[in-house]
Amino acid sequence: MNPLRVALAVARKDLRSEWRTRELVPALAQFIILALLIGNFGFQIDSRNAASIAPGILWLALVFAGLVAFGRTFTAEREQASLEAMLMTPASPVAIFAGKAIAASALLVVCEAVMLPALSLFFGTPLSGGVAAAVLLATVGMASLGCLFAAIVARVRARELLLPLLTLPLWIPFIIAGGQAVQSAMGQGGNYGGAISLLIDFDILFVVLTSLAARFVLDE
Amino acid sequence: MSMLVANGLTHRFGRERALDSVDLVLDTGEHMAVLGDNGAGKTTLLRILATALRPTSGRLEIAGLDAFRERRRLRHYLGYVAHAPGLYPALSAAENLDFFCDLQEVSRSRVDEVLGTVGLSNVADRRAGELSRGMQQRLAIARAILHDPRLLILDEPDASLGADAADLLSGVMRGKTVVLATHDHALANRLCPRTLVLRHGRSLGTATHLRVVR
Repeated sequence: MNPLRVALAVARKDLRSEWRTRELVPALAQFIILALLIGNFGFQIDSRNAASIAPGILWLALVFAGLVAFGRTFTAEREQASLEAMLMTPASPVAIFAGKAIAASALLVVCEAVMLPALSLFFGTPLSGGVAAAVLLATVGMASLGCLFAAIVARVRARELLLPLLTLPLWIPFIIAGGQAVQSAMGQGGNYGGAISLLIDFDILFVVLTSLAARFVLDE
Repeated sequence: MSMLVANGLTHRFGRERALDSVDLVLDTGEHMAVLGDNGAGKTTLLRILATALRPTSGRLEIAGLDAFRERRRLRHYLGYVAHAPGLYPALSAAENLDFFCDLQEVSRSRVDEVLGTVGLSNVADRRAGELSRGMQQRLAIARAILHDPRLLILDEPDASLGADAADLLSGVMRGKTVVLATHDHALANRLCPRTLVLRHGRSLGTATHLRVVR
């Protein structure tokens, strides 16, 4: 059985469901805009401090939007009892997990496509490819971790509480490296290349680790 | 030849013993009904037989293979209709099956055929969430037979199917080894020559064309 075909089938199914129901993306995009708006009003933003405050607001909005997006990936499957049907096929649990992570990442990327121009609008920061690259790279690793913990907590009642408790500590490396990369891309100095390399290293590390763990999490 | 051999299947949920040392042998092509009151352990037994749940103790062989060591391989031979239909409400009936064709590595040309078998050809393009409960159950049955499994595990498949449940199930079960849990004794007698009765997780034995005395 081709794992890539399975992963793409799972991702396609999730994206098609979201396209038809529009349950997640509009709500997340609205949340992100509100978070940026609150950040804008909460701080005295001017041309001197915008580039140092904006990255913090960006990561806060992204982290909380990510928790919601990844939290839904397995909760919906468990609620409609469809996860068991999927796992009853000969398809590899790792491929199923990868498909769910790809779909959740794609949904978050759509939200990021709203967030980055909005950040530029509210904070007057430059909208550059460097910022987008840092955010996209962080999304990969954050998605793999977020989906793994979402799969773990989906079967417990206090999942909304447990997911951030488990996920946030392990997202800190992405926030640190991503924060440095975004600040650097916004002209605040620092080593952009080094931060991006670090993000790629974290992505590889966590994608491999979560793929290994996914088999045990999903198998039963 | 035996398709399914279970020895001492026991399962506990915490302290509660949901299934207590159940033994079972099912020959190839044999149909067996599982009867019992609510909480008797029918669903637990069927989930174990479908390899969806690992028993606390006991041994299960399907087609001569250790069911839990060879779980993934066995799933090519095994179809399971669970208590809940487990469908994707935003996808159409055909799209639900297309998706499972990809996961089962089955040609999508099977979709029309199985939709016809369960009588859903006319609603193939309707979203699963808009189908009646009975139609959803038919769709779950269609999904279970998509890969033409040799062994079918059916957990109350007659629930909300309506008057033609027996005819539909009889067609689906033809040529396969089947374990079917139901509350309907008449249906069990009609479809399955052999019956296993569970009470409080224990097997009260099997019988042919059973007369259940409460």
